Amino acid sequence: MHKKTIHLTLNGEAREWSVYPNELLLNVLREQEYLTGTKYGCGIGECGACTLHLDGAPTLSCLTLAIACDGADILTIEGLARDGKLDATQQAFLEHSAFQCGFCTSDMIMMTRALLNENAQPSEAQVRDYLRGNLCRCTGYASIVRAALDAAALEKQRAEPSAAS
Amino acid sequence: MLPTNTHILFHEFDYHAPTTLYEATELLAQYGDSARPIAGGTDLLVQMKMERRQPAHVISLARVNALQGIALNGDLTIGATTSIRDLHQYLTSKLQPPFASLQSLGEACNGFSTIQIMRMATLGGNLCNASPASDSAPPLLTFDARVTLKSKTFERVMALEHFFIAPGKTALQADELLTHIRIPRPPHQSASAFIKIARVAADISQVCAAVRLTRDGNLIHDARIALGSVAPTPVRAAAAERELIGQTFSAALAEKIGKRAAQEIQPISDIRATRAYRQHIAAVIVRDALLRAWERTQ
Amino acid sequence: MNYQILGNNYQRKDGIGKVTGSETYTSDVILPRMWHARVLRSPYAHARIISIDQTAAKALGAVVLTYADVPHLKYNERIVSIPPHLFRDRTVLADKARHVGEAVAAVAAPTEQLAEKALRALKIEWEILPHYTDPADAQSENAEPIHDAVLLNGEMKPIENNVAVARTVNVGNVDEGFEHADFIFEREYLTSRIYHAQMETKSCVCDPASDGSITVYPTTQSIHNTRQLLGEIFNIPLHKVNVKRVAIGGTFGSSIQMNSIIPICVALALKAKHPVKLVSTREEDMYDHVRYQTKLKLKIGVTRDGKITAGHIQALADVGGHNIQAYALLSVLAGWSASLYKFPHLRFEGKAVYTNKTPSCAMQGFGNPQATFAMESLTDEIAHELELDPIEFKLKNYVGLGGTFWGQGPSVQSIIRSDGVPQLLHDGAQKIGWRARPKAGTQTGRYRHGIGMARGFHTSGAGAPKPGEVIDYSGAFIKINEDGTVDVVHAMMDHGGGTLEAIAKIVAEELGVPIENVGISPADTLTTVYDVVTHATRGVYAGGGAAHKAALKVKQQIFEYASRVLELQADSLVIEPDYELRQGVIYCPNFPERRITLGALAKQLQINSWGTMAAVESLRQVNCPPAFVTYFIDLTVDTETGHVTTNRAVIGSDCGTVVNPAMAIGQLEGGLSKGVGYALVEDNQWDAQTGQLTSKGFWIDGKTPAISEAPFNENIITHFSDTYEPSGPFGAKGIGEAATNPCAAAYANALYNALGIRFTELPITAEKILRALNAEENREARVEMREMEAMAVMQAAE
Ligand SMILES: Cc1cc2nc3c(=O)[nH]c(=O)nc-3n(C[C@H](O)[C@H](O)[C@H](O)COP(=O)(O)OP(=O)(O)OC[C@H]3O[C@@H](n4cnc5c(N)ncnc54)[C@H](O)[C@@H]3O)c2cc1C
Ligand code: FES
Ligand code: FES
Repeated sequence: MHKKTIHLTLNGEAREWSVYPNELLLNVLREQEYLTGTKYGCGIGECGACTLHLDGAPTLSCLTLAIACDGADILTIEGLARDGKLDATQQAFLEHSAFQCGFCTSDMIMMTRALLNENAQPSEAQVRDYLRGNLCRCTGYASIVRAALDAAALEKQRAEPSAAS
Repeated sequence: MLPTNTHILFHEFDYHAPTTLYEATELLAQYGDSARPIAGGTDLLVQMKMERRQPAHVISLARVNALQGIALNGDLTIGATTSIRDLHQYLTSKLQPPFASLQSLGEACNGFSTIQIMRMATLGGNLCNASPASDSAPPLLTFDARVTLKSKTFERVMALEHFFIAPGKTALQADELLTHIRIPRPPHQSASAFIKIARVAADISQVCAAVRLTRDGNLIHDARIALGSVAPTPVRAAAAERELIGQTFSAALAEKIGKRAAQEIQPISDIRATRAYRQHIAAVIVRDALLRAWERTQ
Repeated sequence: MNYQILGNNYQRKDGIGKVTGSETYTSDVILPRMWHARVLRSPYAHARIISIDQTAAKALGAVVLTYADVPHLKYNERIVSIPPHLFRDRTVLADKARHVGEAVAAVAAPTEQLAEKALRALKIEWEILPHYTDPADAQSENAEPIHDAVLLNGEMKPIENNVAVARTVNVGNVDEGFEHADFIFEREYLTSRIYHAQMETKSCVCDPASDGSITVYPTTQSIHNTRQLLGEIFNIPLHKVNVKRVAIGGTFGSSIQMNSIIPICVALALKAKHPVKLVSTREEDMYDHVRYQTKLKLKIGVTRDGKITAGHIQALADVGGHNIQAYALLSVLAGWSASLYKFPHLRFEGKAVYTNKTPSCAMQGFGNPQATFAMESLTDEIAHELELDPIEFKLKNYVGLGGTFWGQGPSVQSIIRSDGVPQLLHDGAQKIGWRARPKAGTQTGRYRHGIGMARGFHTSGAGAPKPGEVIDYSGAFIKINEDGTVDVVHAMMDHGGGTLEAIAKIVAEELGVPIENVGISPADTLTTVYDVVTHATRGVYAGGGAAHKAALKVKQQIFEYASRVLELQADSLVIEPDYELRQGVIYCPNFPERRITLGALAKQLQINSWGTMAAVESLRQVNCPPAFVTYFIDLTVDTETGHVTTNRAVIGSDCGTVVNPAMAIGQLEGGLSKGVGYALVEDNQWDAQTGQLTSKGFWIDGKTPAISEAPFNENIITHFSDTYEPSGPFGAKGIGEAATNPCAAAYANALYNALGIRFTELPITAEKILRALNAEENREARVEMREMEAMAVMQAAE
C-alpha cells in the first residue's frame, strides 16, 4: 500500500494531500485538516453525521475514500460562512435554536444548504424528504424543519435589495 | 474479537483509477479475484469495513466516462455508474410515452433510504451487489431489462433475470464489468408501480414489489410482477403473472393475484421481518401496486 | 409574573459554535503528541480469560493493558447513590467477560491504524461459560453465577441466583385493600431494551502530566463524579485530577456518570505517557448501555364508582452484565408507578436480575417510561371497563396539589406545590377533540383512526428535606467583572437542552443585567464547586437554584457597595437592565437621577481597592417537584400493513415558569420523537445462542426515528400550564425527561381506541399489530363459527 499525492479544493482553498488508499475522507478532514465540524456517527452511512458537499452534492465522507477526491471541490461546515457572515442556513438554525446538543447540526445545515441549492423554495414535505437520512436524537426534527424553511425565506430576503434602504 | 466497524478502514489495498473501459477491464484481467471494482462504494466500503470483502486491488469506475449517462435510442440505455439520484431525476422529468411508463423505477429510486445514498449509489452497483433487497431490481425485472457484461476481450448480454444467482453472487466473471442496463421500449398502454415496506422510512425493505401491466381495453394484455427481499435473489412471480393475462381487471382480481404472488415466494425470517409478515405484506403490496399500475394505464 | 429576561427567547450562547462546526466535543479534542486507543471486547457472552499473549502487539510499538495491568478496585460508574446502596461490580478491564462487548484489553499507539493492528495481534485464550440472555434462565437453580460477589459499602456481598438486588415496599395492607375492591384488574407489561442512540459515541481524551496529574476530557453528565472515581481508582489526589467540561453530542442517560471507557483511556495515558484518545465505534457503543427492560405486573383494585382501593406491583428488571443502578431503579419503579394515584394500600416487589447482555442504565426518565407505560395503559383500561372517561378516572384518583409525591422512590418524598395537570388535561382534550373520539373497537375497513391519552411526570431533581439514598446538591460561583459583565462558573453539564442557558437567564434576571452580559465560563473540576450530575431533570431546578442563591448573595453586595457610592440606603436600591447602556443600572426609585451602572460600580470598587463582588454557594433543594406532561395522540392504523401514522400529537407541559420557551418546546418535540420510537419501532435483540446483538452493529436495526417518523410540524401542538413552583428559581421546575414518559401509553391507548385491542408489549411494531389483528379476526371467526354451529344444531333439532 502506497501513499499518493492528490490535489483538491477544500473550502475554497487549494490543498495537496498525501494519503493511503484506505484513508477515509472523514478521517483526513478531522485529523489532518483539524476540521472537526464534520462528525463521525456510525461510519457506515446510516446517520448522515459525516455529510459534506463533494463537487456541490451532499456526500457521506465516512464512505468516501480520500484518494478518490483528486481534483474534487469539497465544502465542509467550516467553509460555509463567508467573510465572517453566517450563511442563511446557519443564521436560521441559530435563530430557531434548531439544535440541542448540536452534534447533528453540521450535517443538518449542510443538507439544508444542498437542498436550497437545488430548490430555493422547498415545501415542508420536500425538506422532510431531503433530510430523511440525517438522524437527530435531540430535537424531534420540528425545529430543524422550521429553520430549513426559514433559511429559504432568509436567503430570498438577502438576495432582494431591501425595500427600506 | 468482536467483528466491528471501526472509524478507519483497516483493510489495506492498492487503488487504481482507470479512465477508459479498456484500462479498467485490463486491470481486472490482471488482478482477477484479488480485485474489486468500486462504483459509489456504498456497499463495497461497508463490506470492506466489516471485513466481508478484502480485495487487494480496488478499481474505481468513477472516471470511466463510457460507463456513465443515460441514452434513449430505441431502448433506454443506462450506464452502470449512473447514480440512483440522476436516474431518478431523469425518469421523473424527461420521459415521454411509452418510456413514461417506467414510473416504478422512479419510485424505486426515490425509495432508496437517503438522499446521500441515492446520490452516491449507482445502478450498476445496486445490481452487482446482488442483494435480495435491491430496490432497483424488481422494476427492472418487470421491464425485461438486459445487462451488458464486458471483459477485456469479450462482451455478452443477458437478461437481468439470469444475472442474479444468490445473495451477493451474480453471473459476472472476475474479469467482467457490468457496463450497461438496457430497458427495451415498453409496450404502449402499459404502466408500472413500485411499493416498498420498511420498518422505518429510511431503511432497507422488508418487502418490495414492482408490477407492470399492459392493457387492451378492459383486458390485461400482459403482466409482470417482481418482488424483493422475499427470496435469495429478486424474483418474478410467474404463476401470478400468468393468471392475470387475458383477464378483465378488477379489484377482486388484484386481491386474488396478490395472494397468489405471496404463495409463490419463499421468504425467510430475519432481523427485518418474519416470514409470515413478509408473506402477508407481499400480498398487500402486490395488490396495491396492481391497482395503482392499472389506474396509470388509463 | 413579569420578568425582564425569563420567558423570552434569545440566541443561544453556544449557538455560533454549533452552527459553524467549531464547538468542541470530546471526539474533536486533538492534543499534541496524542495517541489513539482501541479496546478489545469480548466476542463471548460469558467467558473467563485464561491468558493473553501481548508479545506481538508490543512488538508493534503499542502500549497494552489487560486486567493484570490495571487497578483491581471494584467500582460502580454511577456514584449518585450513597455508599450503602452503591453496588460495585466492575473493574477497569475485566478478567471475565460478562457480556458480548465487555472490555478485556486495550491498546494505544501513535495512529489508530497501528492501534487496530496491535489489537488484532493480541492472542486470548478463553474458557467459555454458560450464558443467559433471559432473566428467568439466569435465576435457575444451577445457573452459572455471573458475579459471585460484589462490593457494597466496603464489604463483599455474595450474589445468589444472579439476583443483583431485590426490594419490597409496603404501604398499608394490600390484602385488606383488595377486599374492598369491586373489581380487580391484573395485567403484565413488557418494555424493550432500547439503545440510547446519542449521536456522539462515548469518548475520552486523557492528558497525563509529568507530575502525575491528569487532565481528562470525557463524555459525561458529571465532571465531579468522574473526577472522584478516577481519583479513587487510580489513587491520585483529587487536586491532581482535572476533568474538563466539553460539549457532549447527546447522552440521554448514557453518560450519566463515568463511562467505562474513561478509566481505560486514563490507564492507557498513564502508561503511554502520552495524551490518549479513545472514541467508541458505534457498534462498541451499542454494546455499552441500554435502557432497562422491565416486566411489570400490575394488580389494581377499584370500587364500582372508580376509586382505587389497592395496588400490587411486581417488577422484574433485566440488569445485563453489570449493575449500574438497579437498586435505585427498583426504588423509582415503585415511585413512578404509584406517584400520581392515591393508593390507600400498596405493595411493591421488585427484583433485578443479572444476564449476560449489555448493561442497562438510566435512559431519559430512568424507569419512568416503563412504569408510566404500564400504569397509564392499565388505568385507561380500567376506566374503559368501568365506563368512565379515562380523564375523569385519573383525576378522581389523582394525588394532586398538597399531596405527597415520591420523587425518586419512597425515600425521596415531596409535596406537590404546583400542579398544572387539570389544566393540561382540559386544554389537551379540547385541542385533540377528545369527546369526538371514536368508540373503541367499532371501526371496520382498512384505515382505522384512534385517539388516546396518557399523563406522566418526572421529578425535578432528587432533593428532599432530609438526606436520602441519593446525593443531590449543586454549587455555583458568580462574580461581577470590572465592566459590569458577569461570570457564572458552574460545574453542571448541558446536554443540549439549554440548562446552562437557563442558568444564565436566572442569574441575569436576579442581578438585573442584560442577558448578553452574563457569560457561562468554561468549567472544570479545579475551578468549580461540586455539582452532583445533570440527571433527573434537575438542571434548571437544582442547578439553577444554586446559581440563584449565589446571585442573591452577589446582589446584596452590589447594593451594599452601591449604597456607599450613591450615598443611599442599600435597602432602597433596585437594579434593572438598561438596554441602551447595555448595563444593569442601580438606582433608588425615589431618586431616579442618582444611579450608577454595574460596570461603573465594579470599576469604582477596583479603583478603590475594595475587592470583587462575588459569591460561591451550594444548594440542596428540599423538594423535588414533579414536572407534569400530558399526551394526546391521534393516529391512523393501516390494518393491512400494521403501519401507524401519527395525525396529531398534543403535548402539554407543566414546568412551572417557562424559562426558555423555544427550548421548552424543543424538549417536548424531542420527547415525542423518542417516545414514538419507544412506542412503535425501537428495539434491540440479543441472539440467545451467541449473546450478540442481532443487529450486528447496524444502527438502522435499532430503528432510531428519523424525520419521516415525526409528524408534520403543524400537527405537533405543544401547550403549557400557568403554574409557579414556589420552591423553584423564579417558579421554575424541570421539563426534559418528563417529555417522553407518557408517550408510549398514549400510543397504546390510541391503538386500543382504533382497534379495540390492548397492546402490553413494547415496541408495538407493525408486525405485532397485524398479528394481534389476525388473532382477533380468528377469535371473532371462531365465535362466529361456534354461533353458526350452534344455529345449525338448533335447526337440526327443530
Ligand atoms: C445506509 C445505506 C442505505 C442503503 N439503502 C438502500 C436502499 O434503500 N435500497 C437499496 O437497494 N440499496 C440500499 N443500500 C445499498 C447500496 O447503496 C446500493 O446497493 C447501491 O446501489 C450500491 O451501489 P454502489 O455504486 O455504491 O456500489 P459499490 O459499493 O461501489 O459496489 C457494490 C458491488 O458491486 C460491484 N460493482 C459495482 N459496479 C460494478 C460494475 N459496473 N461492474 C461490476 N461490478 C460492479 C462492486 O465490486 C461491489 O461488489 C444502502 C446502503 C447504505 C450504506
Ligand atoms: S458517519 Fe457517515 S453516515 Fe454516519
Ligand atoms: S441536536 Fe443533538 S443530535 Fe441533533
